[in-house]
Formats: sequence, C-alpha cells, structure tokens
Amino acid sequence: MAKGGSESKEATLPAWQEQAYQQGINLAKDVSQTGYVPYTGPEVAAFSPMQEAAFSSTDQMANAFGMQGTGGQQYMPQAETFGGGVQGYSSMPIYQDAVQGLRDVAPGQADYIASFGIDPVTGQVGSRAATQQNYKLEMQPRKRGK
Amino acid sequence: MAGGANPNMIQAAANPYTQASMAQQGALATYANPAARAQQMMNPYQQNVVNKTLRDVGGAAHIGLNTLDAQAQQAGAFGGSRHGVAMAEAAKGYQQQALDAVGALNQQGYNQAMNDAFRSAQGLQSAGQQAFGYGQAVQNQQMQQGAMQQQMMQNLINAGKGQFMGYAQQPQQALAPFISTIHGTPALQGQNQSFQPGLFNYMQVGAHMMG
Repeated sequence: MAKGGSESKEATLPAWQEQAYQQGINLAKDVSQTGYVPYTGPEVAAFSPMQEAAFSSTDQMANAFGMQGTGGQQYMPQAETFGGGVQGYSSMPIYQDAVQGLRDVAPGQADYIASFGIDPVTGQVGSRAATQQNYKLEMQPRKRGK
Repeated sequence: MAGGANPNMIQAAANPYTQASMAQQGALATYANPAARAQQMMNPYQQNVVNKTLRDVGGAAHIGLNTLDAQAQQAGAFGGSRHGVAMAEAAKGYQQQALDAVGALNQQGYNQAMNDAFRSAQGLQSAGQQAFGYGQAVQNQQMQQGAMQQQMMQNLINAGKGQFMGYAQQPQQALAPFISTIHGTPALQGQNQSFQPGLFNYMQVGAHMMG
C-alpha cells in the first residue's frame, strides 16, 4: 500500500448475475410462503352401477341359501358428483376435519404451522414466512468515512 | 306385431340362486326320505298300470264266472253245491291271480320309483349346480365390467388431479429452472480495486513535477 493513501478492494459480480441472484432468492422466498395447497376434487372413483348390481347379487345368493346378507345396508358413503359428471369421493372432508381437530386440541401448534405461509383466505403473509424472518448484516464492507 | 306378444321376448327367469337353493332343498328332502318321493312317483304308475291290470283280471274273472254259470245251466247243476264250489274255486283262482299280478307290479313299480326318486334327486342337484354356475358367471361378468368402468372413472379422476397438481405447483416449477440456471452459471467474480491518495502522495507528485 502506498504511504499516505488508502487502498480498498471489493468483490464484484456482473450486474446481470447479481440481479439474477437477488431475483432467484426473492422468488424462492415467495414460493416458500405459498403454504399447503389442498386438492379439493375427487380422488377415488365410485363403484359403477354394474358393480353395485354384482354386490346385490351376492346378497341374493346369500339370502337364497339362508345366509346373512347386508339387508341393503350401505357401507360406503354416498358418492359425490363432480365436474363432468364424475362420480367419486374426495378426501377433502377428512382433511378439513383433521385440520380442525388439530386446531381444537393443539391450537398453538396449528397457528405455528400456519404462520409459515400465507393465510389461504386473505393472502396475508404469515409471521414466520421467509420474507418476515429477521436478519442482521454482519459481513458487509463498512462505508468509507465511518 | 301390434297388440301381439313378441315371440322373441324372453321372460326374466327366476333368480338362479333361488333356483339352485330350491333344487338343493328338493334333492336333500329326497335323500332324507326317498320312500316318500317314491310314493309320489308310484301314484301315477298305480293308476296307469296296476289299476288297469286289476280291471283286466276282474274282467277275465267276470267272463270266466259267467262261463261257469252257463256250463252249470247246461248241465242242470246251476245253483247246486258243485256249482257253488266251482264258482268259489274259480273266484279264488282269479283273486290269487290278481294278487300275484298286483304284488309283482307293486314290487317292480316300487323298485322303479325308488330308482327314479334318486335319479330325480341327482338331476335336481345337477340342475341346481348349473343354475348356481349361471348366476356366478353373470355376477363375475358384472363385476369385471363394473371394475373396468370404475377404472376408467379412476383414470379420469387421476388425470384431473394431475392437472390440478401441475397448476398448484406451477410456482415451484417456475422457480426450479431459475435456480438451476443460477447454479449452473460460474460466478463471474472480480475485484474492484480503488486507491485514495494521501498528502504524502500529493507531495511526491509535486516533487516530480518540479524536478
């Protein structure tokens, strides 16, 4: 270093690369806040009428030989009709029930989990989402004159 | 065919399982009491064969006794003790003939009826099994076709769910190539060097200029 003067060195990146880094990290932060997206559509196909007829035949077979049948009792829940006339079942009611169950027995934990993402109704960002995390810059060069 | 029955129309048969069960019960009843079934089978046999034989023997006896009466009249012995004995003997002979014939027919008929009873029981069992098989075949066909239809519906559901998952994961999908591109790019790191001159440097520059 020359006498009487001061010399400084700074690591640099091309502008386009620095921009990409920052945008990528911001994008990742936003994506991470999405939260769980439940699937509300059908997941399991209902029995077809032909299968129902076969089940009924099994009942008739049992009854014909004096054996116990179902007596017409239904075991499966009533299938729902979804878009396009699809007949099937969705696990959404089970999921909702379970989430509510957790909220009932462990509301703190349920809130904690929810705080990592956005509020799925209002879109408000949760308190523990990536963009809300605290940070302290300790590795930045000090500004000259200070 | 207006107003008339369609000859091609087939009436719905009774449930094959009910048919099979009824046949099985009928066969079991016969095995449990074959004589009762044989008796049912003997009734028409008795009417058609035994009774006709009795009538035949009775007719023959009537003719024979009339002949005896005529012969007794010709001999002037009608109503006498010898006529009476001859009539009694003849009647006894016809009676024995009838008994022998009926006994033999009954024995033969009973044996035949017992065999028929067992054969009918076996036939019932066979028909019952066949009916049960028909029912099973139809039911299995229903189950297979129904399962195919259900699988088609399931495929449709899976396709729809796949579409939704693609939609819901679109942000992650967008992020992934971005991140991989950044990772794949070498860090074009460089150094920016700067020098801030001090008083001594200025004096050096001045000395150079004066010298």
